Amino acid sequence: MRLIGHRLALYALTLWVAITVNFLLPHLMPGNPIQTMIGKLTGQVTPQEINAIRLSFGGGLNNSLISQYFTYIGQLLHGNLGVSITQSATVSSILISHVPWTIGLIGVSTIISFLVGTVSGALLGWTRGSRLDSLIPTATFFQAVPYFFLGTVMLLVFASNLRWFPVLGAYSQNLVPGWHWAFVASLLRYGELPVISIVLSSVAGWMLGMRNMMITMVAEDFVLMAIAMGLPKRKVIMAAARNAVLPSIANLSLAIGLVVSGALLVELVFNYPGVGDLLLNAISGQDYPLIQGIFLCITLTVLAANLLADLVYLLLDPRTRTEVAP
Amino acid sequence: MRSLRIPRSPKVIIGLSILGFFVFLMIFGPYLAPFSPDNTSFAPLLTPSMHHWFGTTSLGQDIFSQTLVGARATMVVAGVAGLVATMLSIIVGISAGYIGGFTDDGLSLMSNVFLALPGLPLLIVIDSYLPVDSRSNSLVIGLIISLTGWAWGARVLRAQTMSLRNRDFVESSRIIGEKRIRIMFTEVAPNLLPILAASLLFTILYSIGAYVTLAYIGLTSTSVWNWGTMLFWAQSNNAPLSGEWYWFVPPGICIALVGTSLALLNFGIDEFINPRLRAGGLSGRQRRRLGMPRRQRLGLTPVVRSVTTAPRIAVQTEYSVTP
Amino acid sequence: MTTDSMGVDDVVATEVPPGALPTTTYGPIVATTHGDAAMGERILDVRNFSVDYGWGENAVRAVDDVDVHLDRSTVLGIAGESGSGKSTLVYAITRLLRAPGVIRGGEARFNLGTDDEGEHIIDLVNASERELRGVRWSSISIVLQSALSALNPVVRVGSQFEQVLKSHRKDMSKDQRRSRAAALLAMVGLDEDRLDRYPHELSGGQRQRIMIALALTLDPQLVIMDEPTTALDVVTQREIIGELFELRAQLGFAMIFITHDLSLLTELADEIVVMYAGALVERASARELYEAPRHPYSLGLLNSFPPMHGERTELTGIPGSPPDLAHLPTGCSFHPRCPYAMARCTNETPPLVEIKGSDRSVACWLHVGDAGVAVPVELSRVATGTKKFDPATEVAR
Repeated sequence: MRLIGHRLALYALTLWVAITVNFLLPHLMPGNPIQTMIGKLTGQVTPQEINAIRLSFGGGLNNSLISQYFTYIGQLLHGNLGVSITQSATVSSILISHVPWTIGLIGVSTIISFLVGTVSGALLGWTRGSRLDSLIPTATFFQAVPYFFLGTVMLLVFASNLRWFPVLGAYSQNLVPGWHWAFVASLLRYGELPVISIVLSSVAGWMLGMRNMMITMVAEDFVLMAIAMGLPKRKVIMAAARNAVLPSIANLSLAIGLVVSGALLVELVFNYPGVGDLLLNAISGQDYPLIQGIFLCITLTVLAANLLADLVYLLLDPRTRTEVAP
Repeated sequence: MRSLRIPRSPKVIIGLSILGFFVFLMIFGPYLAPFSPDNTSFAPLLTPSMHHWFGTTSLGQDIFSQTLVGARATMVVAGVAGLVATMLSIIVGISAGYIGGFTDDGLSLMSNVFLALPGLPLLIVIDSYLPVDSRSNSLVIGLIISLTGWAWGARVLRAQTMSLRNRDFVESSRIIGEKRIRIMFTEVAPNLLPILAASLLFTILYSIGAYVTLAYIGLTSTSVWNWGTMLFWAQSNNAPLSGEWYWFVPPGICIALVGTSLALLNFGIDEFINPRLRAGGLSGRQRRRLGMPRRQRLGLTPVVRSVTTAPRIAVQTEYSVTP
Repeated sequence: MTTDSMGVDDVVATEVPPGALPTTTYGPIVATTHGDAAMGERILDVRNFSVDYGWGENAVRAVDDVDVHLDRSTVLGIAGESGSGKSTLVYAITRLLRAPGVIRGGEARFNLGTDDEGEHIIDLVNASERELRGVRWSSISIVLQSALSALNPVVRVGSQFEQVLKSHRKDMSKDQRRSRAAALLAMVGLDEDRLDRYPHELSGGQRQRIMIALALTLDPQLVIMDEPTTALDVVTQREIIGELFELRAQLGFAMIFITHDLSLLTELADEIVVMYAGALVERASARELYEAPRHPYSLGLLNSFPPMHGERTELTGIPGSPPDLAHLPTGCSFHPRCPYAMARCTNETPPLVEIKGSDRSVACWLHVGDAGVAVPVELSRVATGTKKFDPATEVAR
């Protein structure tokens, strides 16, 4: 439990750093971006809206930086992330309508990718020296391809040319979203190619990492013991894999950030209505409140995923649960 | 002290060759390009031909020239970011691991925070606030990327330094009264070389990805050609759906190849650090010829009788016997 | 904990659930032999056994043409420094040796027992993976030097017993498995609550006791001990050796005990073989070896460790270090370190020959009866025939 306490404190600190960076950036960057943005907006939106935008950056520029910082934090605590200047809606309401898409897409593909990569990596490590080894160079190549490039190629080949998959979006435009079968089926159908792209780009990383750990584990005494005990091969492999997967999970914190970042871009390629797509629009429209909101939202999600990974690790490794070393 | 001797495996050789090729492009690419990458005087959307090896864009620019010219900015930014980030991780990691105590606590906390922060979104926020002239500056972009990419290396180096700190040769320098800074960089750092190299490769790989991504979403200046900008223009002109594969495939393949070469080199270093990963002895064909199973199964020590048994090698010793 | 509280007899009689140990079924895998190949009381017979590390030009001979054998319910000690090939030999016999180890020749036959159809003998060298799995742990089990690395770190102690029983005793119920595990822990003097612990939560001595209990789970005929007490402190080491001895007396399994501590072996073993640079250099009964070693290397090993009983003697050890197997000296491999080396030793390899009028063998030019070769007095002593190591007096001590 102490471990979880530590991790919680770390993540709280990380969130605070993210929030502070978010606040400081527009204030410290050369060229006064907030003022420029508001200048551009004057006349296009109501003064109330301008006030709301100002408030989301910490209020009037005449106040001291410290007092602006506290105003900003106060606004955040009330869930006020400001108003988008391109979509004339509050940032929080925009996020709420986009985040589920991203969590669904990236969550599903990350889980598939982790499972497939871990299982295949374990087998590759166990059967080292067999013909399966020829998979490794291919896997290395896929590991190095940027997510969005692979997505683009998949889109061109399988959707645009071969027409195996629908082209763009998250569901058929002829359907009204809702919890009925036709819509869910369309959702799954449209999700296939983006999920496959993300899985293909990320699976090699899990696989190669697991393979290395598996090879290291197979050299351990307890695996030889499992064989000496005459256990069935399946159980011997499980004994090694169960230990080899631990570092994989411990490294999730590093990987989740990278996978989420990469996967966000796949949304762009497929016009998937998630946060990644939103981010691109926000960037091209210099919609700073929205960009900041998205950043905080991603940070929060990644930290939550990290915490989840920590809990799984705790569950799988009894050594972390012992408070006193023997 | 271990010297950095990378095993001469095919992986390392292929990795070095590919990387060497792109380093060559980084230096000479802009001079080798047949046209200016901005030259819009050709017909738009030509498919690859003898005249335009990779075809042309919708503005009539030569894609081959763009690819050659784009190598420089891409590789320079990645290199700068990789080097700076590795420097940062050396300073933070070795100090934390060697000095320990509060210094360690503080620095470790800092690296853990940076590890937990999603790097690319942070990068996007920072970059979106950058004035346009800074965005076209490879050095500035490289420095910002390095800010989000040093933490992993620092963590690994710290762990390794801590294990080195109490070894005999470091201990003895301490007793002799060497200065701490001197011990850290002359005694400890050289022993970290393999891990350092792995960390450098990893950071460069990360930096290429980050830079190309920034360019792809339009956050670097469009006046500097790099492979990401090419993908940006291809995407915004709907090239993937219009079947203009030659527009985005060349830069994408280049990125993937550089990445693959770094990953292959990393393999080599991994095998150097962890000897268990090294493939033992013979290739599959050699083993078959000797009548060995293709792979050695744990718990089934092979029996090879067909081959002439290894001689007990006899070596004359200088030993003389007194009668 | 005291060993006299163990009462192994009671344990076997009352705490093991009846029917928990079905009579061994041999299955279809084992050839029935007859005639001259019959093994009788012999449980393990290894002949002309050679093991290499690596293949082709890089091959190094780690075990060279070794013969060992062992009778039911006896203890064979294998002694030698690290690199002498003692562990390599045993791991190769059980086919557990890791790459790049290769068996290069010889045979290893294991006697599973006799029934109406005759003797059931398995040829370990030619056995398939499935056949080996049938023998492993139920007939041959092994205890490694470091229990911490030999026990799966993320699995509770109880589950490790559970796994073994589940794989080999399919007819046992969950409750039966649990009580069998508890009974085994009681045999090594541990409480049942240890079953719910993870290996890292136990002390080194407890872990090694669990390894021993684990090795006895299926009532094997042969238990291999690979330096089982080397990683422990001296007090725990003595306790465990004492317990081990009682267990062996009660349960009657045969044992191969590998150690570099020859003086420990002389108290434990019935017969001892001494290995040097991959070859056998001496074979004798424990008492004879202890009181009257014939090979200079055996003498050196005996002088390297304090005896477990008797008065202290000066420890002299052996000068030099074990040879590099890839570059063995010519002649007798031991000659560069041997204080009695003669001209002949530098270029002729001595064969392992039986000493006339005894059932012991030695590979040394001193003992071939050459004219003009005077055997030094310390290598020609006569064994007096005092009592061998007795666990009862040992525990009382």
